[in-house]
Amino acid sequence: MAAYLIKIAQYWLRFIKHEFYFKLNAWTISALVIGLVLFLPMAEVVWHLTMPAESWEHLRDTVLGQYIKGSLILVVGTAALSIFLGVSSAWLVASCKFPGRKFFEWILILPLAIPTYIAAYSYFDLLDKLNPFLIWIRLNISTEAMALVSDAIVYPVTIIVLASVLYPYVYLVARAAFIQQSNQCIEAARTLGHGPHSTFWRTALPLARPAIIGGVSLVIMETLNDYGAVKHFNIPTFTTGIFRTWLSIGDLPGALRLAACLMVLILFLLILEKWLRFGAKFHNNSKSDRPFKPYELGQIKSFLAILCCLFPIIIGFILPISRLAYWASQTIENVIDSNFLILTANSIAIATAASLITVLLAIFLTFTSRYFGSRTINATNRLAILGYAVPGAVIAIGILLLAKQVNQAIGWIMTGSLSMLVLAYVVRFLAVAWQPIDSGMERNCEQINNASRSLGVTAIRSLTKINIPMLRNALVAAGLFVFVDTMKELPLTLILRPFNFETLSTKTFDLAQQAQIPESAVPALCIIIVSLLPLIWLNFQIRNTEK
Amino acid sequence: MKYFLKLSLGLSFLLCVYTSAAELNVYSHRHYDSDAILFKEFTEKTNIKVNVVKGSADQLIQRLVTEGKNSPADVLLTVDAGRLHRAKSAGVLQPVKSKTLRSNVPKSMRDPEGHWYGMTVRSRVIVYSKDRVKTSELSTYESLAKPEWKGRVVARSSSNIYNQSLLASIIAAHGKDKALAWAKAVRKNMARAPRGSDRDQARAVAAGLADVAIMNTYYLGILANSSVAADREVANKVGVFFPNQKDRGAHINVSGGGVTASAKNKKEAIQFLEFLTSAKSQETFGNVNYEYPVKIKNNQSELLKSWGKFKADKVNLSILGANNAEAVKLFDLAGWE
Repeated sequence: MAAYLIKIAQYWLRFIKHEFYFKLNAWTISALVIGLVLFLPMAEVVWHLTMPAESWEHLRDTVLGQYIKGSLILVVGTAALSIFLGVSSAWLVASCKFPGRKFFEWILILPLAIPTYIAAYSYFDLLDKLNPFLIWIRLNISTEAMALVSDAIVYPVTIIVLASVLYPYVYLVARAAFIQQSNQCIEAARTLGHGPHSTFWRTALPLARPAIIGGVSLVIMETLNDYGAVKHFNIPTFTTGIFRTWLSIGDLPGALRLAACLMVLILFLLILEKWLRFGAKFHNNSKSDRPFKPYELGQIKSFLAILCCLFPIIIGFILPISRLAYWASQTIENVIDSNFLILTANSIAIATAASLITVLLAIFLTFTSRYFGSRTINATNRLAILGYAVPGAVIAIGILLLAKQVNQAIGWIMTGSLSMLVLAYVVRFLAVAWQPIDSGMERNCEQINNASRSLGVTAIRSLTKINIPMLRNALVAAGLFVFVDTMKELPLTLILRPFNFETLSTKTFDLAQQAQIPESAVPALCIIIVSLLPLIWLNFQIRNTEK
Repeated sequence: MKYFLKLSLGLSFLLCVYTSAAELNVYSHRHYDSDAILFKEFTEKTNIKVNVVKGSADQLIQRLVTEGKNSPADVLLTVDAGRLHRAKSAGVLQPVKSKTLRSNVPKSMRDPEGHWYGMTVRSRVIVYSKDRVKTSELSTYESLAKPEWKGRVVARSSSNIYNQSLLASIIAAHGKDKALAWAKAVRKNMARAPRGSDRDQARAVAAGLADVAIMNTYYLGILANSSVAADREVANKVGVFFPNQKDRGAHINVSGGGVTASAKNKKEAIQFLEFLTSAKSQETFGNVNYEYPVKIKNNQSELLKSWGKFKADKVNLSILGANNAEAVKLFDLAGWE
């Protein structure tokens, strides 16, 4: 026993000596501090869980069940529908030959440009369109039946709205997985007498499963983060519950406990995802030298394939965009004024600032962790990127708590300043920039960095002369993603925006809240247009690399 | 290190909003055209620039709490006495004494200690389908809980403060248990799960989905004067009924404002509230946003006159605030989403 303890102590001593004696320098210290500061808002939330929450018993006994039920119905429904839309269209464009396939291949990702709350606004009257049907039930069956149907109908409608703009997360990864699949597997399946159907079900789909699960987990996180759409359709979920408990009941600790429940739910899903993906390591992963031969479709089947690819684009892009465009054309004169130009400039400026700072921090953090091989920095980095899994509303509360403590300690007022809003965006979206930069560095720079270090090149020179030029594409992609996510972000911006400061997303929300949905179409379209540009760029990049 | 500290302090000062003498910083929940017009008039008249942060009142109050004495805000404007009371008990408002304000605002429409003053009045009424409902069927809020209204009522979410204040007034009139039973029964009588705005409730009644809606008066004014023909049609199809005229009167509420505890421009802030409660400004609220003036009898708007005179519930509005959290919990218990 004693020997065992000594062994552990020795291990830790070695670890500490190794980590701190050899690796403590200006780089690692600043990376450590930055990583921890970015984690602070989330730590604040966890820390405040120990506070007594006066309404917790009430919440637990009355609405907690509803929130769990509402969130789960939406998550399960949206995930299932996204898988259906994303996988079916991905399989068609990856494995079949039909007219317009190249066109569908990239246009299927466009709904990604529409935030969930704008999708909800563009379908705001969908439920009202069902009124004649409900009134028919009322007149011909009974008022009770109508009340039951109208209570339940809001769930499928919301699920359709959410999935119609979130399925591209599944589509993107599924398509990439199908294309990269070893053609030996597919052709082996064919030679063993499997037709297209059983090849898909028994070979292609199981092989793509880990990738699809990755895409679905993004869909789930976006669903749980959504505030605007569920608020619009008045579905009790965790996000609406957090706002209600914090602001209506006035019980912040209670709201934080709800946030903690939500975070536990997300953590559970993330672990589940890791666990499900783990199986992937046993699959055949050898790259194919040529893509497998696509199935030639006959006329009728081509027609069906086109319909199948058209459907998600119509409900996720063409319909919302054309409705928004129609409303915008009606109201543009009332909405566009000097204020509108200012808030557009605000949106672009703050998104630019946020994406620049996020990318700079992401490259600094990944570089420091990899170049110095520091496990401590790697760990703090992992903590810092957790922000992406935490809903915007929770991060905003964490930042407010942090600001309160800073204010009490040194009288430095942070609320209502742009710097705080930018900090919040960095916390929320660091992972978005971190992911492409980290994987790019792992693929391209590791060995060169080792070589240059052994040749006595300084860290700063390695970073600026080797890493940054080599990662140029990854950096641009990272910056664009953060930029778009910031433009679209709603709950966090609503809570933290400063004086006289409106962005396109808050303007859209405010107008929609005032039941001026036609007017809200103008800022909504601006967000979508700005978000489209990076998608087009990304598509161009993918095309180039595939060639 | 010292240099760094100084630099960061300096930078933070630059980044934070600083205030100068001829400016007034307003946190406002109100997002109506009438306010923009009045703020502009105020600036023209006094040469004081009005900076506005719009947001939901609850968030603005939380923000005032977090910012503490360093808050840049001078005035908080919001709808609903429940929220004004919440702001007062959160300690973000300060008592103000002004003869003008006291004569502009009747006693029941302001905080006894002067923490907040009412600015406009709205009533939460029953709106009914002219085709399917006779006014003789209607009487009180309480009667909407009766089984004959099964599947005929629509109302918005209980997250909405107007509903919370209505239930708070019922708690004040009948006590907790009866209020809970009322909320449960009305929820059971609903034609659909609560959702949408007050305007959507009127639309549902006009479409034939339900027969009566619980909603605020001024929304009907907005519909009647809408640029959209379908909305004007909705306003034509429904009527306004002021409930409880034979007992305590129709539930009313105010929107109002107060000077923040941290106000750096207190004098200008008081001037601002005096301006908003002046007779002329009160008329603008009525004409542009279809709200009643705080002195309801002084109403000049033709549309509001057409709905007729009514008896208003005289319960002290700060009680609505005191009962608010209880009302939210009762809604939770009643299953009214």
